[in-house]
Amino acid sequence: MDVLEGAAWVFGDHVTTDDIYPGRYLERPLEEAGRYAMAGVDETFPCQVRPGDFVVGGLNFGAGSSREAAVLALKQAGVAAVVARSFGRIFFRNAINNGLPAVMVPDTSEIRTGDRLRLDLTSRQVTILRTGVSLPILNLTGISLEILRAGGLLPFTEARLAGRHP
Amino acid sequence: MTLTERILARAAGRSSVTPGEEVWASVDLAVMHDSSGPRRIGPLLDRLGGRLWDPEKVVLAIDHFSPPATLTHAEIVTLTRAWARERGLPHFFDEQGVLHNLLLEAGLARAGMLVVGADSHTCTAGAIGAVAVGVGATELATVLATGEIWLRVPPTVLVRFEGRLPSYLAARDLAMTVLGSLGADFAIYRAVEYGGDAVVTLPLDERAVLTNQAVEMGAKNGIIAPPPDAPRIRDGSLDLTPTAPEACEAAHTFRAGELEPLVALPPRVDRVRPVREIEGLRVDRAYIGSCAGGKATDLRLAARVLRGRRVRVPLVVTPATQAVVRECLADGTLGTLVDAGAVLQAPGCGACAGLHSGLLGPGERCVATVTRNNPGRMGHRSAEIYLASPLTVAASALTGRLTDPREVL
Repeated sequence: MDVLEGAAWVFGDHVTTDDIYPGRYLERPLEEAGRYAMAGVDETFPCQVRPGDFVVGGLNFGAGSSREAAVLALKQAGVAAVVARSFGRIFFRNAINNGLPAVMVPDTSEIRTGDRLRLDLTSRQVTILRTGVSLPILNLTGISLEILRAGGLLPFTEARLAGRHP
Repeated sequence: MTLTERILARAAGRSSVTPGEEVWASVDLAVMHDSSGPRRIGPLLDRLGGRLWDPEKVVLAIDHFSPPATLTHAEIVTLTRAWARERGLPHFFDEQGVLHNLLLEAGLARAGMLVVGADSHTCTAGAIGAVAVGVGATELATVLATGEIWLRVPPTVLVRFEGRLPSYLAARDLAMTVLGSLGADFAIYRAVEYGGDAVVTLPLDERAVLTNQAVEMGAKNGIIAPPPDAPRIRDGSLDLTPTAPEACEAAHTFRAGELEPLVALPPRVDRVRPVREIEGLRVDRAYIGSCAGGKATDLRLAARVLRGRRVRVPLVVTPATQAVVRECLADGTLGTLVDAGAVLQAPGCGACAGLHSGLLGPGERCVATVTRNNPGRMGHRSAEIYLASPLTVAASALTGRLTDPREVL
């Protein structure tokens, strides 16, 4: 999972969890979440996104509600990573906890929808293949990186519990 | 250390912590509701062995889907209740109102605690002097299994309101003052600590508006140092006094007497303007409710405006909890609201999460005390939510137009 490559879907600043997964779908089963990914902004997104694509936001991506369905909807729709200048902190934790890389870079203004992006967790950068510009990854250190590498918080916690009570 | 750092240091079993470092902390209270709770967390907890680390430290409230309005709601509520009974959960609120308000009313959230909850407005409990942090369902499932969570220690931003709060303002105007001047992301990964005379003299349910709105500023937690008589954890050595400005990353001071009634325009919580600047804008409905705006003080402030008058557009009132109903029934507040033409609903989250009665149709414009105004929050995506204090909402319900409460008080 250290290197991912996919096409960008660019959204603006302050995309909320109500944009990513509108509240009216909260009563639906989680298995259907992918059908409503980004429904608050673009209802055609789930039909157009391809497996491995990236969602790109600006400031404060995923602000608002703690609903984990927002992350699961993106994952089920095929999104492989989210790139933004900053994240709503609960969305960020939910993403990492479900094994979805959510990476912070200093600037996303050069990225256009359709650009191929390469995310490299080892060299800690996101490269825009059209321009060759590389953006440094500012987050994903320490425990959050360990959780992401473990595949999410449940496998991470299972391993932690197993280590403590052999 | 800041107040938040002192509480986190204790929870982490350390003598001190510094902003930016990651710690494993013991949780004092883990809270959830019918939307985030058993139906989501149950299967995740089962993967971790299915046992609660300490049932005494777990709180569950049925609030989002209560009382059930559809068969789907009823199925979720039934599942939630069965889970609570199966485990003999000692702190289970069965359709009694909103989790966040119940925690403060029942004294379950106490000063000095680390509270973790599967809801973004968990930060509300910081009003009693706790560090209260919202997380997602998976995170809470691991807390329920282990009693522990990892946290990055946040730097603190201090926000002070000096002077006396004028009678035409409510705590919501203070929160909107902060959002309007500092923005919806100034506090990402930070703690927001409130202080100053205009804050410490507020009743607890109004202090809770400030900590509730911390998440709308991007914060990890909002906190206010507890008054001497606040319920607190049994640890005499824990210093719960307010943080000195020198220990904070930044400090902002506002003079309460110079502020005026505000409104947050859709689609953002930080598009804040004085009500008088857009006064006269037609509204279709008015709504008083939610963890931020359905408390006893909200209903009383609305009643002050509405006494002896009639609303011109539908005003729906959803009290936050059953205790709010009881108090406002006893002191005549509910009678005043009903006489003015307000329509009362059962306690709970109501229309705030877009799941219950009072939803907005296409193009409808609503002035409301709910938590957020992003498109689709209360129903149709094209509906517009104007956030305001209960005073401004009530004044606008009287005229059918956005109205500064000073015009009618």
